[in-house]
Amino acid sequence: MSAALFGKLTILVVDDSAYMRHLLMTLLQALGVKEVLLAIDGDEAWDLLQSKEPDIIITDAAMMPVDGFSFASRLRSIRGRALGMVPIIMVSGHTDIASVERARDIGISEFLSKPISARGLYERLIQVLDRPRQFVETPTYRGPDRRRRDRPFEGEDRRGAVALI
Amino acid sequence: MVERRSPSRLAGSEGISDTPRPEVRFIRVPSIAERKLGTDYVAPMRLDPRVLEQMQSTIRDLEAKYADALKSQVAMLQVLVEPARKGDADARERLYALSHDMRGLAGTFGHAIVGQFADSLCRYIEKAKDGDWGDGTVVSFHVDAIRDALENPGTDPAITMETLNALDRLIGASGKKHNAGGAGRSTG
Repeated sequence: MSAALFGKLTILVVDDSAYMRHLLMTLLQALGVKEVLLAIDGDEAWDLLQSKEPDIIITDAAMMPVDGFSFASRLRSIRGRALGMVPIIMVSGHTDIASVERARDIGISEFLSKPISARGLYERLIQVLDRPRQFVETPTYRGPDRRRRDRPFEGEDRRGAVALI
Repeated sequence: MVERRSPSRLAGSEGISDTPRPEVRFIRVPSIAERKLGTDYVAPMRLDPRVLEQMQSTIRDLEAKYADALKSQVAMLQVLVEPARKGDADARERLYALSHDMRGLAGTFGHAIVGQFADSLCRYIEKAKDGDWGDGTVVSFHVDAIRDALENPGTDPAITMETLNALDRLIGASGKKHNAGGAGRSTG
């Protein structure tokens, strides 16, 4: 099933490092991905998205002049097109809690820390391909549900509109 | 697809109060695997060991090529460190870009220690307020550590750990020195 699925995918890789772009592209090709699109920063990726609609976006966090956070945030602000909900995997060397939380709060689907491994990339791809989290829209957040565990909520219902039963 | 949920019965009076609540929409996202494969889709999708091996073999194939590139990058770091210490903006930018590349890639290609030293260097540069590198000692020690790690890949992990700790202490001491000399500045 895996090969058949990857053979139908278009994945956009956004990274300012030529080596990292090459590595990711080669790994995706090893998986059998049909089409790998490449961009060197958020701006170039944005231009590319005017003519292409990838199934998944893999983006670096730290890039100049438009970094992965701004790019992802811009993507999540798209309304009325599937592109606004495209799975985004952020690849980053910044693995501190603050950076991971920032990525989560922008609406990143998965976080992959550098140095990357074949297994880490493969697992995150499976996650976004086969086990997507529901999408949440609030006035301050738009992205995959940030709660990964499905357990009863015991605190104050600040959303006010969520049925718990 | 779009689900607008009713007030929670567990929310007590809060759930039925007149206070306007922010609108929350939940949208069920269809699985890409299911959408693309249609009737061929079999849940759940699992990691295929053969495919994983293929990916790992791809990384091994790239290792030799990367090793050459890494040697050139480390040599370039050594060229850049002196002008960067003296404040040359272009040299600093290139030095950071190279370290950033090493932080991201060295570990993937079997040079984990190089990656760790590069990571420490990047974090120092990122935190150095206003680009204040002091006398540049912290940066040159990092560059020396990166070169040593590349030239002596079999170094005892305990020594590597001690070097990383020493660099941490150096960064800490450098931060304290700057804090004492200037209000609220920190390089740590």
